[in-house]
Amino acid sequence: MEQLNYAIAVSNLTFGYNNSLILDNITAGIEAGKLTFILGQNGSGKSTFLKILAGLLTSQKGIIRIAGNDGSKLSYHERSKLIGFLDQHHKAIFPFSVEDVVLTGRAGFTNYIPKETDKAASVLAMEKVGILPLRRRNYTELSGGEQQMVMIARLLAQNPKILLLDEPTTHLDFLNQSHLLNLLKRLVSEGLTIVAVMHDPNLAFMFGDDFLFLKDKKVIRSSDSFQAWDIEFLETIYHGKLEAIPHNGRALLVPIMN
Amino acid sequence: MPLPIILASLFIGPSQTASPDAIFNLIFNHSGNTNLVQSVVFDVRLPRILLTFLVGGSLAISGCSIQAIFRNPLTDSYILGLSSGAAFGAALALAYSFLPVQVSAFIFGLIAVGLSYFMALKNKNVSIVSLILSGIIVSGIFTALLTLVQFYSDPFKLQSIVHWTMGNLHNANWEKLQSSVIPITAGVVVLFIYRWRLNVLALGDDEARTVGINPEKDKLIILIASTLAASSAVAVAGIIGLYGLIVPHMVRMIIGPDNRQAIPLNFLFGGMFLLIIDDFSRTLSGFEIPTGVFTMLLGAPFFIFLMKKTNIGWNS
Repeated sequence: MEQLNYAIAVSNLTFGYNNSLILDNITAGIEAGKLTFILGQNGSGKSTFLKILAGLLTSQKGIIRIAGNDGSKLSYHERSKLIGFLDQHHKAIFPFSVEDVVLTGRAGFTNYIPKETDKAASVLAMEKVGILPLRRRNYTELSGGEQQMVMIARLLAQNPKILLLDEPTTHLDFLNQSHLLNLLKRLVSEGLTIVAVMHDPNLAFMFGDDFLFLKDKKVIRSSDSFQAWDIEFLETIYHGKLEAIPHNGRALLVPIMN
Repeated sequence: MPLPIILASLFIGPSQTASPDAIFNLIFNHSGNTNLVQSVVFDVRLPRILLTFLVGGSLAISGCSIQAIFRNPLTDSYILGLSSGAAFGAALALAYSFLPVQVSAFIFGLIAVGLSYFMALKNKNVSIVSLILSGIIVSGIFTALLTLVQFYSDPFKLQSIVHWTMGNLHNANWEKLQSSVIPITAGVVVLFIYRWRLNVLALGDDEARTVGINPEKDKLIILIASTLAASSAVAVAGIIGLYGLIVPHMVRMIIGPDNRQAIPLNFLFGGMFLLIIDDFSRTLSGFEIPTGVFTMLLGAPFFIFLMKKTNIGWNS
């Protein structure tokens, strides 16, 4: 494998909960400076895979190299400089203001109390995501979509090299989904590496550079959106019949009900 | 702000000799029964005021920290078994006098919280539900042991045990103040340093890990510091019920949940408020009403109000 181009390189990764195997001997790489989407059926292990990459779950076997470092040897602090992670859902208890939530992204930079530079970084992050007007609102009072954007701003305040996003478009309406994906593309063009779990293959093929498909505890990689036309392949991924509708030189996929 | 209340409290008390008039006379005219007045003010009231302030402040600050790290606004150190452990320790010392009461209460308070913590520990993780359940178990065990000690005690000792558990500050003196100042200060200083970390930890364990914080380590440090402060307070003042749970809520209502401000304010406000309660309990009737009874009667309705209003957070 051409190790150098990989932001994350996974080899012989095996993971299971108790006795049920989720991921079986996976070897895959994620290229630096690209927007990679992970696709697959519900329960195929997409979120588990992402959590292992984020260091929140420990695999039973295998090696994960993150920007050349052995993932198992990184401390939380070292890892936070390289990788940021957005969870599928976040449940807030205390009604912190939006800017206080975003500011916690700077925890890896401060000893105990955030400095002015940390505050400036979180203002910049809120501006980038477009939530600056919400900065004094209570996080707990926001809609699911707004909360999602706050957590993404928190990630940008953290300023890691790689972003791992678990379903970043859930809770967002369909126009905001496109706004977010455009933002992700812009971040990638600025040098970030982004890996995101997606449910909607149409959006994924519209915006992604690279695709990982999870099927039968294995990862299948494709670096070409020709897969969008490959109906037979996608039907085996989603275990159902699909139809491709040509649209602007691409294809829109629609499941066929019987 | 706390200073005027401390000063005003100096003038309040059941003693007729040391009435406000007599104190003014002492200060401005050096007349009257100077020695007696001086001794009431400096040997009885002043240590009590300072001790009350410290106790109130440390119960509030440790309650606020524990609520943040367990992401549950309805917990405090008492729910982790501290009060029943300390009560058992105090009773044991009062009945068999093998250790000073205060030391024994302190040690058993720490043991109880430690037991709750390790019983709840599973795969290096402590969940809110299991911690609260193990806190209930540990409280139950120590309450049973306390009953046992009371059962075998003679009536005279029994009375002092019951008095201790009611929580009162009336036998405060300079020695008590001296012995509790160091552990309370140590706990409070650590919590003050970690005040912003509490914000990070309050968002959740994974949310802390991914921004570079080790939540297990930080939560253990904060738990030890809060238990140190709270059990020193319990050791000198007895059980002052619901106080560490309620004051953090009052502070949050005033300035919001940001612990950078809430932590120092809990100490000041917690100290002041207990002083005011203690002033009332000293003066409302001819005899003193135990402070713990007072806070419990005030606190219980407030707790029920909170429970109806807020999200308990057990499902997180």
